[in-house]
Amino acid sequence: MTARRFRLGLGVALVAIIALAGLLAPWIAPFDPNASGADVLSGATATHWMGTDDLGRDVYSRVLHGARISLLVGPLAALVTAIIGVPFGLLAGYARGRLNQFLVQVMDLFIALPNLVLALIITVMVGATLLNIVLVLGIVMWPEMARLVRGQVMSLRETPFIEAARSIGCKPSRILAFHIWPNIMRIVAAQMAIAVSAAIFTAASLGFLGLGLPPPAADWGSMVQSGFDYLSLNPLLSLAPGAAVALTVLGFYLVGRSVE
Amino acid sequence: MTMIDRRGVLLGGTSLLGAAALPASSRAQTAEPRRGGTLTVGFDDNARTMDPTFSIQFSERQVLFLIYNTLTTIGTDFSIQPELARSWTIENEGKRYVLRLQAGVKFHDGTDFDAAAVKYNFDRRLDERVNSPQRSVLRPVIDNVEVVAPHVVAINLRTPYPSLLADLADRAGLMVSPTAAERLGQDFGRNPVGTGAFTFRQWVQGTSITLERNANYWEQGRPYLDRVVFRTIPNQIIGMQRLIVGEVDYVDSLTPEHIRQVEGRDGIVVQQARVGRWYSLQWQVDKPPFNNPLLRRAIAHALDRDRINTITMGGRGTIANGPVPPGLWWSSPDSVVHNHDPARARQLLAEAGIAPGTEITLAAPSDPLLRQIVQLVSEQLGAVGLRVVLAPVAQSEYYARTVQRAINFTPMAWTQRADPDGLFFILFHSRGFANSTGYNSPDLDAALDAARATTDVEARRRLYARAKEIVVTDLPYVPLYFAAEYAAVSRRIQGWVWTPDQIPRFRYAWRAS
Repeated sequence: MTARRFRLGLGVALVAIIALAGLLAPWIAPFDPNASGADVLSGATATHWMGTDDLGRDVYSRVLHGARISLLVGPLAALVTAIIGVPFGLLAGYARGRLNQFLVQVMDLFIALPNLVLALIITVMVGATLLNIVLVLGIVMWPEMARLVRGQVMSLRETPFIEAARSIGCKPSRILAFHIWPNIMRIVAAQMAIAVSAAIFTAASLGFLGLGLPPPAADWGSMVQSGFDYLSLNPLLSLAPGAAVALTVLGFYLVGRSVE
Repeated sequence: MTMIDRRGVLLGGTSLLGAAALPASSRAQTAEPRRGGTLTVGFDDNARTMDPTFSIQFSERQVLFLIYNTLTTIGTDFSIQPELARSWTIENEGKRYVLRLQAGVKFHDGTDFDAAAVKYNFDRRLDERVNSPQRSVLRPVIDNVEVVAPHVVAINLRTPYPSLLADLADRAGLMVSPTAAERLGQDFGRNPVGTGAFTFRQWVQGTSITLERNANYWEQGRPYLDRVVFRTIPNQIIGMQRLIVGEVDYVDSLTPEHIRQVEGRDGIVVQQARVGRWYSLQWQVDKPPFNNPLLRRAIAHALDRDRINTITMGGRGTIANGPVPPGLWWSSPDSVVHNHDPARARQLLAEAGIAPGTEITLAAPSDPLLRQIVQLVSEQLGAVGLRVVLAPVAQSEYYARTVQRAINFTPMAWTQRADPDGLFFILFHSRGFANSTGYNSPDLDAALDAARATTDVEARRRLYARAKEIVVTDLPYVPLYFAAEYAAVSRRIQGWVWTPDQIPRFRYAWRAS
């Protein structure tokens, strides 16, 4: 119990710090994240806490602004995941016979495809914009959500109170909306937090592979990648955004796991 | 002479005879060359063939110049010097080149190199069925090649073509063994046979190319090395790490940022090319929005090239006011200069009727330097009210897509060539094969055609000065700078030469003990 409390506390604290950093970035960042400067690839100094990148931009300011992108991409992608996955899971869990089989097979098909590879292929085809990345992540991640919801619905479906509702003539839509959904909301919320962390991680991976938001966006994954060339001059170019990704992912994951 | 010569994954530009410098230190060697040892070269592996007839990649030529000899050779000062052709005369008002060949030269397969072999090589490149990428350049120029005597060959031209001798120092002049080429057919590119200082041993695609000393090389006592290995490096950063630990002896295409890691380190020498690649922006001048000359001039004035040079080159590049670097025989004073002048840029935009906030798409290839350049360009154009959208494109695709005219506005890099006709004609002439801007200026075509029709150096100098003025006024390209480029080499490797085409020549290199 205490371990779980600790995890929840740590998760909430991390998420809060990142959220504050993102929200306040325009005021607390010492420099414009996209303004170039003549002091190129400097190490950490009193002016540039994390040094500067290959265009002389302040790394600390870019990491702060990067939080805005991650906090937009992660939750929105989780929302898309829920919008597709929850209805699908509800239907797949409640339906029987051919329809059930069909829905389960569609789900299994998507689960069998590796998320990152699928995301890469779709991103290459549609182009990396904020909206596209959110949609792509939602599309590759929804089966996890659907599977979870389906499992919950299947066990709830056999419980006496649902039997009772069915016996007095409630329609399936009513049963799903008013009897089953309220009972799985908490689990869906927890899964969404985990989906946020997975989405941020996958978005960073896309950025690292060169499919992040186009430059000059302060996209953490792209920053890790472009810093690679200069690791021996200023390792913070990659380490700082990399750590930011790790902490954000950890934060959301801990929150999700503890609520569950 | 060359074709599209993409720098593969690394740099998008093209190159033929470029401008670099003989490293002073390698010239001033006092030590006696030493026989034996292996040279390992860090290599961008996009090589596809070792047959010069079909070669288009930049990297291939580092190897080709060791396996083969060229008819002429290019000196470190752009001068044309003898190689397989010991001397030549130009007759018939510049339309007949008579080459007298070295006697006693043998191909690696033991057959003789003679006038018939030279004729075979040209006929093969000109043959439509062979489909050599050099054909489109050679065919309009060369009428026929004639064996005059066993070691005298004449090249008869359709029109005067002053840069022929420079072309013979590059791909067009690399002589393959006719016997081997006939016997091997398609497989010749994997089993190359030339007259060069090194013989081909092994090619493990994507890993290494190994060459061994040609014991019967016609230049007595040479070469000195037993073996040259071209080892693939995924990028220059990793190449530098391998250089530091001694896994490779040579890495080039380095930027000032790269060499910060090795400058001053014991055992490694850093050398700068005398003239680096010409970096520029190009666009399609026959299509909106860049068919508006006011917009082109506005953008030229909006760019702060000094700042781009400071940030991306540590200030070590040379600002370009045209495609010709200073210090070449065809360099001319800059009569038209587009200074950094944001106020003028805004005024030109207003005259052009382009509203503030108008969106422009600029390709952003994945090469790190080009990525840096486009981000700075985007920032500087933003300052005069244009909104630049950067469209990422894979490095391996971007040149092809530019040539297909699928990309309208992009950064570009080209190396210099030994003769001004090289870059001027292919990039700016309306019939130039690398003219991907849609630029078509009768004035410029006339100047370039006139410069081709004369061998008088003074007249050509004036014509190319005029050509540069026209190009800079019309702005099919916005010149940025000539990059500062470096090679980092183990101190033990001596006697190598970095010729103006930016291809290192390791033929006479040796390894000090």
